[in-house]
Amino acid sequence: MAKTLMRFTGVGGQGVLLAGEIFAAAKIKTGGFGLKTATYTSQVRGGPTVVDIQLDDEEIYYPYANDGEVNFMLSVANVSYQSFKNGVKPGGTIVIEPNLVTPTEEDRKKWNIVEIPIITIAKEEVGNVITQSVVALAIANTYMEAIDKQVLIDTMLSKVPKKVHEINLIAYELGEKYAKESMK
Amino acid sequence: MATREVISTGNELSALAAVDAGCKFFGGYPLTPSSEVMHVISDLLPKVGGTAIQMEDEIAGICCVIGAAMSGVRALTATSGPGVSLKAENLGLAQMAEVPLVLVNVMRGGPSTGLPTRVSQGDIKQASNPSHGDYRSITLCAGNLAECYTETVRAFNLADRFMQPVIVLLDETIGHMHGKAELPTVEEVEAGIVPRKTFDGPADEYFPYECEATEPAVLNPMFEGYRYHYTGLHHDKNGFPTEEIETCRKLIQRLEDKVMAHQDEIESNEEFMCDDLTGEEGEVLIIAYGSVSLAAKEAIRHLRANGIKAGLFRPITLWPSPATRIKEMTDKIKNVLVVELNIRQYTEEIERASGRLDLEGLYKVNGRAISPHEIVTKVKEVF
Repeated sequence: MAKTLMRFTGVGGQGVLLAGEIFAAAKIKTGGFGLKTATYTSQVRGGPTVVDIQLDDEEIYYPYANDGEVNFMLSVANVSYQSFKNGVKPGGTIVIEPNLVTPTEEDRKKWNIVEIPIITIAKEEVGNVITQSVVALAIANTYMEAIDKQVLIDTMLSKVPKKVHEINLIAYELGEKYAKESMK
Repeated sequence: MATREVISTGNELSALAAVDAGCKFFGGYPLTPSSEVMHVISDLLPKVGGTAIQMEDEIAGICCVIGAAMSGVRALTATSGPGVSLKAENLGLAQMAEVPLVLVNVMRGGPSTGLPTRVSQGDIKQASNPSHGDYRSITLCAGNLAECYTETVRAFNLADRFMQPVIVLLDETIGHMHGKAELPTVEEVEAGIVPRKTFDGPADEYFPYECEATEPAVLNPMFEGYRYHYTGLHHDKNGFPTEEIETCRKLIQRLEDKVMAHQDEIESNEEFMCDDLTGEEGEVLIIAYGSVSLAAKEAIRHLRANGIKAGLFRPITLWPSPATRIKEMTDKIKNVLVVELNIRQYTEEIERASGRLDLEGLYKVNGRAISPHEIVTKVKEVF
């Protein structure tokens, strides 16, 4: 498998960090290399946050995604979308939360911009906004086919408390469903 | 060597290493980007009969660590540059009184409170002399996740060997990056622990500061029947203040010599893809340390793929510097590029060691990492 570079962006407190950790751990479990590196501001809640996730079969040295090489980005906040979109390869996929992120027409020509209401799905369909990171995880993996689904789900479950296993499984399935629909 | 695979961050690995190396006390004050060291160790220590305490400020954080170390246990504090500034006075006390402790500094942008959540290597010079006066700092710098663990372990062993503070430098990138680390097993770490020396003769024959000219003091744990005095003043063999000329001279000379006479026990470097560098025209030697060396390794892969023979020299022990090896490498290779997340802080040491003033440099001080691409571009531009 070639190197996969994903970037999750949001604002502090949304839980984008966890999704990155799950991806990295799942890749390592399958014998590869995974690295998650986050960048955040002093403003812990509300500041733009970016998480770079690199998955590779070979050892990864530099822990950040090189700008212009990111294959896939997911964004749930406009401030972070605007700051970090240029890291994505032309033609790459950017999944946005359409209620919060407003791409320009030029952006839509440059990248494959996909609108999935991630936060609404987590809040209304799963019933817990915290599960948005797992909805995002499922969307990213459905697009990138980076990790075997079961390995990813098992890793995810190992990182969240038992009492929320069930809703996170629902969140994963919903994320996958919406991602597949958006690909049609 | 038996190993185990751990998925973690640099900060968490540093805390884990301390506990595995036998640390029984942590005192400190949470400071971004080092706070996770404290979070993790305050969870781990009580489980092994140790103590972790959040003090009222940075200064108290190191004071209680000095106290714990005086009572005989391995003790740790963790902070970032602004915290080291506050701890400086007491680092000096620990140097003078010869108290072994480990300080993990996860570097962020400075000076002053700087850029709390951003990466920097701005504390390199500070680490060499955080406090006033003459002494030799021992400073180790982790260049990957595994080294956040192994260098912390090594720091505890060096602190007890040389009876002084040992600084472990991480930086925001390496402290927070999350991935796989291949670590030695706990058994392996435990087997490598050499406890500090103690005196077990009669109490009236015990003189803690009466030692060989190139050896550290032998300080028995307090409250175990051996009396002596601790002070930041120049002191005699019992630790009591003195201004006697020869005693003062010998004491400070010994603080210098106990480290410099044993550099072979302290020095540690990595030479990455340097085997085939013979000194031919066009070869490039990059010198970098800490997280910057990760970008340098990636850059070297690119350069070599493009026909440029490049290698990396990475000091792991920054202070005392590996001056002899730097000289050998820079004598052989003409094109040398130093890459740092500061402005020439270690370059000046490399200039001193190499005797060369024609080294190229790539420096960045805006809180952002240096990318492999920037290094490749610089190499192509200057050589």
